[in-house]
Amino acid sequence: MSRDNGQPMPGTVVAVAEHRDGRLAPLSKELAVCARKLADKWNLEVVVVVLGERAEVIAQEASRATGERVTAVQVPGLDEFHGEAYVKILAGLLPAWGAAVVVGGHTTSGMDWAPALAIDLGAACLTGVEALEDDAEGLCYRRAGLYGKVVEVMRPVSGPLIITVAPGAFKASSADAARPGLVEILEIAAPECRSRVLAVEKEVDQDSALTQAQVVVAAGRGIGKPENLELIRRLAGLFSRSAVAGSRPVCDMGWLDYRSQVGLTGATVSPRLYIACGISGARQHTVGMQGSDFIVAISNDPAAAIFNLADVCIVEDLTEFIPVLLSQS
Amino acid sequence: MRILTCIKQISEPESLFDLEEGKVSWRSPVRQRLSSLDEFALETGLRIKDADPAAALWAVTLGPPSADSVLRRALGMGADHAAHIITQDDPAPGPLAVASALAAWARQHEFDLILCGVMSEDAMQGAVGPMLARLLDIPWASAVSRLEVSDDGSSVTAEREMEGGRRQILELPMPALVTIQSSPQQPRYPALSSLLRAKKADIPSLAIEDLTVPPERAAILRTELPGRTRAGVFLQGNTQEKAAQLLALLRERALL
Repeated sequence: MSRDNGQPMPGTVVAVAEHRDGRLAPLSKELAVCARKLADKWNLEVVVVVLGERAEVIAQEASRATGERVTAVQVPGLDEFHGEAYVKILAGLLPAWGAAVVVGGHTTSGMDWAPALAIDLGAACLTGVEALEDDAEGLCYRRAGLYGKVVEVMRPVSGPLIITVAPGAFKASSADAARPGLVEILEIAAPECRSRVLAVEKEVDQDSALTQAQVVVAAGRGIGKPENLELIRRLAGLFSRSAVAGSRPVCDMGWLDYRSQVGLTGATVSPRLYIACGISGARQHTVGMQGSDFIVAISNDPAAAIFNLADVCIVEDLTEFIPVLLSQS
Repeated sequence: MRILTCIKQISEPESLFDLEEGKVSWRSPVRQRLSSLDEFALETGLRIKDADPAAALWAVTLGPPSADSVLRRALGMGADHAAHIITQDDPAPGPLAVASALAAWARQHEFDLILCGVMSEDAMQGAVGPMLARLLDIPWASAVSRLEVSDDGSSVTAEREMEGGRRQILELPMPALVTIQSSPQQPRYPALSSLLRAKKADIPSLAIEDLTVPPERAAILRTELPGRTRAGVFLQGNTQEKAAQLLALLRERALL
């Protein structure tokens, strides 16, 4: 595959669908939207691919949801995800499909297979893509860099391209497509893998009080010490139907239970009000709260990435600010 | 058992910078430290070593000459050996170059287990680990928050995190590569005496040019400040005034 100024030769743009418990993951629609944008740019075909033992059922769902052509790759013994199997299957299929661009999710699975597949395909790999941009030279890809404080505008220079797309970056309508796409079924033998999936555990129940709260007050590493959680709880106490949440480091340190974690590997919330306290705003956290109606961020770092997606930004030491706020309320 | 941890030096996240002609320019001096997820990777390696004193733990970094400080930190925490692959600072090598250099170097040392942070704290690409595994043709698992070595030392069981708090358990025969997610196993602090000893350690180094590294397949054209997705109104005034403005805003929107 050759490319001039970031423009691939004719072929396909392949979106690798995600699924769990036999259902299509909602992110897959966003991947199809991104793939469609790329394909239209260069007049390529979109193929949504579903890998798994029961791929056909999920592929039907994907064709209704996206209206795109879907290929179900039925693989015995492959449940919802196995990185090594994904890489081996995709590396076997994609060259024959003329895949110019492969689109995956910037998720725990996309981040597992995409960079590895880039080695097999001799591809460029851009992870965490948030937007596409046209410039005089062709198409560029925008991703967050430097703790989320900057945007890196990138362009592939050789090989096919593999991207992982940040959840929420490409909006998909919740309705089904006007017309379902064509579904093809491919049955292949399970690839030989050295690693083995033993189980998938649903260990952590999500806190329903958190996902249903109208107001979420979230603590990040910037709260400094666990004693300051009391301030966060008192702030949450100002609101009815409120919940306290935390970023990953706060849960890792045991200051809050993992049930309270918001972000990529925790809960996704969209309350009427989200107050981020001492949270830097790394993507791993913001994917879990960017859909909130109104976002207030309090941080003592004026360049914190969280301010880029907040409605109201407050540069203050929260141990001083919250007590003042409570006293005035 | 030979364990390798791949670690990276980063600038403190609060460091001040400007964008000059589409490039990051630090307002010197910038404090450097070990990327925190790499610290978790080191801790994972150290815990394996605690349980198996025969295990040897290596730390390797790619970076400018000053990046030796993270190797000294690793030695201070308890790593047995360190190696430094010296690269330019600007432009910093991309993930393919980093993974290729690490692969070329690691091939000479025959490691049983390679540990990386799931991503660097600054660039957040998360690409080096899976790329390195593929280049070495060994099985991998990413975003692992629990790792156990089998009794006979032939395999590891890795618990990797997935969306929505779910966990996938994998068994990987060694040699294998695992990228480590943060977990309650907080990285240990080095003892002062170990740090002082590490400070004087002689760390072998080589230049990235001495290793086979393919050309980059992607380029950063420029770096910009992110657009704001929302109003992003910065409240002005002293602490009392800001608090009053926030309360007024919340009441206005019937949130309070």
